[in-house]
Amino acid sequence: MPSRRFSRPRAAAVVAAAALFLAACSSGGGTSGEATGEPVSGGTLTYASGDAEPSCLDPHVGGNYPQALIATQYLESLVSLDDDGEVIPWLATEWTESNDGLTWEFSLRDDVTFTDGTPFDAEAVAANVAHVQDPATASSTGYLALAKIKDVVAVDDHTVRLELSAPDSALLESLSQVWVAMESPKALERSQEDNCAAPVGTGPFVVDQWERQDSVTLVRNDDYSSPPADAEGAGLPYLDSIVWRFIPDSASRYAALQSGEAHVIDNAQPDTIRSAESDDSIEELDAPRPGAANRIELNSGKAPFDDERVREAFIRAVNVDDGIQSLFFGTAERSYSPLSSVEPLGLSLPDLFTVDTDAAADLLDEAGWDERDAEGYRVKDGKRLTLDFPVSTNQSIPAEQSLFEQIQADAKTAGFEVNLHPLDLSSWYGALAQNDYNLVSAPYTKVGPDVLRILYHSASIEPAPSGYFANLAQVDDAELDELLIQASSTSDAGERADLYERAQRIILEGHYILPLYDQQNHFLRSSTVHGLRAMPTVSTPTFAGAWLAP
Amino acid sequence: MSRVRAGVVAFRPTVAEAVAGVVLLLILLAALWPSLLAPGDPLAVSHTDAFQAPSPAHLFGTDESGRDIYTRVVHGASESLRIGVLATAIGIGLATVLGFVAGLGPRWLDFGTTRFVEVLFAFPGLLLALLFIVVTGPGVLSSTIAVGLATAPGYARIIRSQVRRTAAAEFVEAARVLGRGRLWIIARHILPNVIAALFVLATLGLGQAIIWVSSLSYLGLGAVPPAAEWGAMLAAGRTYIANFWWMTFFPGLAIVASAAAATVIGRGLQKRNRSAA
Repeated sequence: MPSRRFSRPRAAAVVAAAALFLAACSSGGGTSGEATGEPVSGGTLTYASGDAEPSCLDPHVGGNYPQALIATQYLESLVSLDDDGEVIPWLATEWTESNDGLTWEFSLRDDVTFTDGTPFDAEAVAANVAHVQDPATASSTGYLALAKIKDVVAVDDHTVRLELSAPDSALLESLSQVWVAMESPKALERSQEDNCAAPVGTGPFVVDQWERQDSVTLVRNDDYSSPPADAEGAGLPYLDSIVWRFIPDSASRYAALQSGEAHVIDNAQPDTIRSAESDDSIEELDAPRPGAANRIELNSGKAPFDDERVREAFIRAVNVDDGIQSLFFGTAERSYSPLSSVEPLGLSLPDLFTVDTDAAADLLDEAGWDERDAEGYRVKDGKRLTLDFPVSTNQSIPAEQSLFEQIQADAKTAGFEVNLHPLDLSSWYGALAQNDYNLVSAPYTKVGPDVLRILYHSASIEPAPSGYFANLAQVDDAELDELLIQASSTSDAGERADLYERAQRIILEGHYILPLYDQQNHFLRSSTVHGLRAMPTVSTPTFAGAWLAP
Repeated sequence: MSRVRAGVVAFRPTVAEAVAGVVLLLILLAALWPSLLAPGDPLAVSHTDAFQAPSPAHLFGTDESGRDIYTRVVHGASESLRIGVLATAIGIGLATVLGFVAGLGPRWLDFGTTRFVEVLFAFPGLLLALLFIVVTGPGVLSSTIAVGLATAPGYARIIRSQVRRTAAAEFVEAARVLGRGRLWIIARHILPNVIAALFVLATLGLGQAIIWVSSLSYLGLGAVPPAAEWGAMLAAGRTYIANFWWMTFFPGLAIVASAAAATVIGRGLQKRNRSAA
């Protein structure tokens, strides 16, 4: 503990300096690492992740959030977003859409090379799209995001044309995501195993070593030249290296941050976020993810939730508000929308989610679940009203799992037997693939409201090449399908907003989902870390401009 | 009457044994009749009471869902004790068979069984249990069986040597000379002489089994939340250890107290058993 005693006053001085600096300059800025003078080069930063260790460091393969977190440090996309959500240049400098919306032409930067020396050019873009779309890659997130790209034509070395099968109003948003980031075409030719172990990009860091079950070491890309248009600072990146550790246990992760063993941790627990507020040596970075809100999906594809009355009864029977209040210590706000609160087009309908246990009981009676067995569970034709709820312990923080336990207790009072099955990620995917669930909570991050098409269009009941299907509520509604297709093809902003509102109304009023809160994305950092910011795209932190105070 | 008093005087417990006895009695009472000690519902959620520190209203405080930890610890006793007893019974039952087969069987059978037991013994017990769970899948039943299987090799070795020593004793020799049947000798002479040792082993093993079963639940391989099982409660509280110590302290205390009490009583029995022999 002596190290902590010594560091406290110094930390306090740094914070005081930061406060002075902030007072001196009027712009607060959206980044968490307030500058306290000139950035310092060098040093090794330790990041401790509570997310599951990826089985592949190439986010084209599969495509989940843990992959996005780390890949943000070594891969870059064609475009990015600024803090206002406007699309800005990155590896592509400008772009034009044809009048019919079926062809897009991108001009590419001509001064960028991948870290293996391969130049970044139109052929590289073509190779990346082909890699994501190749069924052998088993891509899920990237595959769905690029589904409408029919052909990629290299017009010249640094001009590329994307030909679409249908107009795609979400194309630029899709391309900004790290799941479709650019990798060296030469590196992509290696076996998938090799590419998974060390993907090659154009980013500020390079994958150096991967000690499985422990950490990934990223080292500085000395030739880095391609920050997104909104990046600040020169001579990026500042850090020599990043040690990306996997510490699944949240208490150990927080302890590592407190002791200085780690500089930044993710998946911070609500109670530790609260207690860090009074600790000057720890700062918070809150970056709610775009795309879908965290929600519980009610599997309408099989009994008993194929009956809308039973779905509504479940939603009316459980009290989520009080649980969120007590479990999240005010760090999470209740959502009543399929979309994240950072999505401007999100529609909120709180009235659909007021708790009404009497109405729930009536609905269940009406639906034929009007008897109760000895344990108080409702019964119909001798069958108990049982709901299976597989919970991915890797994707749900403990507070969320406790919330599910409380939902279980509430549902029991109403006569539902909810069986919680805590599972590791692969068993959880297995349960979903087997249609072995009635309730499930699956985070889904995507830039823009087009995520609704991926989550609720009936085509998404079909599995992607990875075997994952995104429409876990198994919504199969022709009118909704039509709205979502129209919305994704129109570029008229007003019409698009109207279509998405109608689509969300169908999803909410059909009682397919129980929205909980934004996908929680709280990071805690030591106050010695500066210049850390979350990408405005999928809210992953980027260390391109980060530096450690000496 | 006088014989009973003599017995009581001879069995003079030490302070530690007396305390251990009281603890075990309390746990037994909690296991058999939990509502006598804690009338509440161990699964009752109360949002407004979440994360309450220990107080007269909630002796051990409350957890993240406002459930009373005292009630949960008391109700958890039956789960932990039942699993502990069952696992020990499986372990000792299996070990008795192995021990008798090795101790009384022909030379080749003794050799085979002993080598088999030694191979199993080379694995750390918990690893053996984990291996079993990997094959059968997690759950209360499989973790119970796993702990039973994992403890069996250790018991089997002790029982074998007990059986061999007894079988070589003069009174067994005498029975054999008198033409008594093999099974009769086992039932009347060998078993009674091994059973005292078995009882000691079982008491000692119970403490160990409770710890192992809690460990497995702690790892998420045994009882599933929100079950009031000590190991599972410990695992749930672990997340909040930085701010709410009571969520881990009291379930942990229950595990330590019950395991320690069983061990103290077991050692006491062992000592007296030895001096009596």
